[in-house]
Amino acid sequence: MSDFHLVRRADFSIRRLIICYAVGILISLGIGALLLSGLGINPFEYYKRMLTMGLIGNRYAYKCIEGLLKIFVPLLITSLALGLAFKMRFWNIGGEGEFLIGSICAAIVAFNSGSMPKIVTITLMCLAASLSAGIIGLAVAALKVRFNTNETLMTLMLNYIMLYLIRYLGSTKAPWNFFLNPESERPIFGQFADNCKMGGIKIGNFTLLYSVIAAIIITVIIYVYLKYTKQGYEISVVGDSSATAKYAGMKVGKIVLRTMFISAALIGLASGLATATAGTISESITNNAGWTGIIVAWLAKLSVPAIFVTTLLISVLQYGCQAAATQYPAIDSNFADLLQGIILFSVLAADFVATFKIARKGGQEK
Amino acid sequence: MSAAIELKGICKNFGSVAANKNIDLSVGKGEILALLGENGSGKTTLMNMLSGIYMPDSGSIFMDGKEVKINSPESAGKLGIGMVHQHFKLVERFTALDNIRIGMGKEAGTIFKKDTTRKEVLDTAAKFGFNIDPDKYVYNMPVSEKQTLEILKVLCYGAKIIILDEPTAVLTVQEVERLFDVLRKMKSEGHSVVIITHKLNEVMDISDRVAVLRHGEYVGSVETKKTSEKELTELMVGRKIDLNITRPIVEKTHPLLEIRDLTVKNDEGAIAVDGMNFYIRGGEMLGVAGIAGSGQKELCEAIAGLRPIEKGQMIHEGESIVGMPPKKILEHGISMSFIPEDRLGMGLAPSLSITDNMILKNYNEAKGIFVDRKSARQEAQKTIDKLEIVTPSTETPVRRLSGGNVQKVLLGREIKAGPNVLITAYPVRGLDINSSYMIYDILNEQKKKGVGILFVGEDLDVMLALCDKIMVMCHGKLQGVVNSGHTTKEDIGLMMTGALNIVNKEGKTDGIAKDSAIEEKKEEGHV
Repeated sequence: MSDFHLVRRADFSIRRLIICYAVGILISLGIGALLLSGLGINPFEYYKRMLTMGLIGNRYAYKCIEGLLKIFVPLLITSLALGLAFKMRFWNIGGEGEFLIGSICAAIVAFNSGSMPKIVTITLMCLAASLSAGIIGLAVAALKVRFNTNETLMTLMLNYIMLYLIRYLGSTKAPWNFFLNPESERPIFGQFADNCKMGGIKIGNFTLLYSVIAAIIITVIIYVYLKYTKQGYEISVVGDSSATAKYAGMKVGKIVLRTMFISAALIGLASGLATATAGTISESITNNAGWTGIIVAWLAKLSVPAIFVTTLLISVLQYGCQAAATQYPAIDSNFADLLQGIILFSVLAADFVATFKIARKGGQEK
Repeated sequence: MSAAIELKGICKNFGSVAANKNIDLSVGKGEILALLGENGSGKTTLMNMLSGIYMPDSGSIFMDGKEVKINSPESAGKLGIGMVHQHFKLVERFTALDNIRIGMGKEAGTIFKKDTTRKEVLDTAAKFGFNIDPDKYVYNMPVSEKQTLEILKVLCYGAKIIILDEPTAVLTVQEVERLFDVLRKMKSEGHSVVIITHKLNEVMDISDRVAVLRHGEYVGSVETKKTSEKELTELMVGRKIDLNITRPIVEKTHPLLEIRDLTVKNDEGAIAVDGMNFYIRGGEMLGVAGIAGSGQKELCEAIAGLRPIEKGQMIHEGESIVGMPPKKILEHGISMSFIPEDRLGMGLAPSLSITDNMILKNYNEAKGIFVDRKSARQEAQKTIDKLEIVTPSTETPVRRLSGGNVQKVLLGREIKAGPNVLITAYPVRGLDINSSYMIYDILNEQKKKGVGILFVGEDLDVMLALCDKIMVMCHGKLQGVVNSGHTTKEDIGLMMTGALNIVNKEGKTDGIAKDSAIEEKKEEGHV
């Protein structure tokens, strides 16, 4: 018989939040330290490498930053897009699937682009990716509006459909399958021609990819969109109380359709940029952005600036874990994933503790 | 008579709102107790504590003289307390029998015991005079049959104390009779019954004793035999508080909004507003009295264009507004504010700031793609100053404001739009005296400006003092319109319960407004 129940804390204190987060992260790092010590690795060394991402004393430090940004850009746009849908209380957990269909469509353009100039191919790739993902999102929203279907299930299932679609394309050797490398005996995805690979601005050795600039512009646009435009206002009203939105004369169905299209199309755009950056497709092209983006959006409480910061921190964590793991023969990138999981889990737990308190059932609540 | 269950000093707060304050109540064995009170008086909260859905903050519950703790619906079930909720808790895709079996726990629920269970169920049904087919699927059942199943379920689980939350709301007159027969059988079997209802005639018909709650407090209980509907109404509505609400006399203009033969259905598809006729003139406040759930909400929603109507006409300044989208109706000058029971669900977006709530209905008027927050902030500040809204700033989320201030924000926005017909439902719901008076003043000021106001209210004293005329509804039907200067609370109370109907009875009773006989006046009234 449980005599305890959860009560939402009435007050909000930023101090408590920070303390909870700090304690949570310390606990998770402690668990990680135990595991590392067990493997015979000095945890302090490891964490140092992780937090500096192997930048210090590295002749190719600029490569690290480039690597970090390759994780950062798709995750940022995906998290923003998911945040957009969540703000309307539309549970789009189909980021992975939308990302994958976008990637496939970008690759269709890339493999058939002939010798068009780079700016045209990349634009077309991004457009194809956005449109295809947007249409998937629109379809789910239409079913929700028309038949009140469950968008969580719909988007979730589409993730798997898209995953198996790309697996099918990647493993079927056939004359029609232009996705594959024609020279290879085994079915592997082909590389894009040079005019389909993301370019950038050279700053010394470092290349600032155009996708990074695009991502920052998109962040600003979404910030303005949500905060200052009528459509952004509509999203917050629908998310807060759809009865009120209806009462105010808003066309709730139309708003849901539009927002979900934008959300999915943005994920498609992230995918188009990532695919052009990678120069090929694969089923791991998403780097789990569709899943991680959900965590980012919620950790950031759906605020755009907070999403930017959170994405940066999580990208550092992801890239740092990987960079540190490569230095030790005893562990591989799986350990990096494990550590990342522990840290994210404890941050979520910390968030929970900061929002709720446990109270005795039937006791005086004050 | 010994008490089957006794409540002592029960308190329950939701945040800063006290839903139940220090309630003492007892139910005897073999007694039918009617629990009476206005909406929001804490009846359902109290019963939810008996059935283990809520836990009381303080106070104790005794059964057969022993103190018990009820901390879950299961423990309530074990103690023999069963509740039949207003909204049925049945599995649509299961048969009647299976619906009963799923709640029976491990043993009786297994397939091996199905025949035994069937027999038990049929025996119980026969004992109490239920007519039920155990193999019928719930989705094939009409509402009354579902309710029968709910009651049977509770009885099969061995409940000795049965709580029914507004069981008659969904039933026809004949079905109500049948239900009451069952309740009487239960009583003769020694079961205790608590029935929550708003309908006084039913209370008089079925109960042995009536307990009255008002604003979360226990007012007292009376034996049904020794009371009358009149007395109960008084107990329920509260004694006259002698406070002067001013009723400015304004020259009335032509009818602004005319409703003819309006029929509207509720969410469940039952008729909620049944052939209503009335009109509102400029500079007039028309009160709408009626027991909660008599169709007030549906009426308001129909006029605001939020609910499709079945038949009838709604004419605003000579133009039909039937079928217009809510936005169009708003632009026409009809503004509606409805304070629902949770006070925030409709009309306001609780997490958004006062500024954002101010522009809810006109954010689209600004040019371009951006929301004009600058003038919205000024409007918000103006409303805050004018209505004396207590808030840290214009950017405070509405949810953080106290009840009175929330309602002022809502009303302030409606008035700002400059409507010529203002529909306001329960604008003072849950407010203290001072805030209420502030709201009355706001409404009076609008009236002076020549706005026609439809005031859906709960407190008869207030309505008598504030409104020019009062229209009474019962089960969605118009019972008549009276001049509040020439009528009594008793008459209105009788009309509310359906005991008195003065529609089309001309001049026979004191205080009948001419509007009651709207048919004759139509040509004259409709310019």
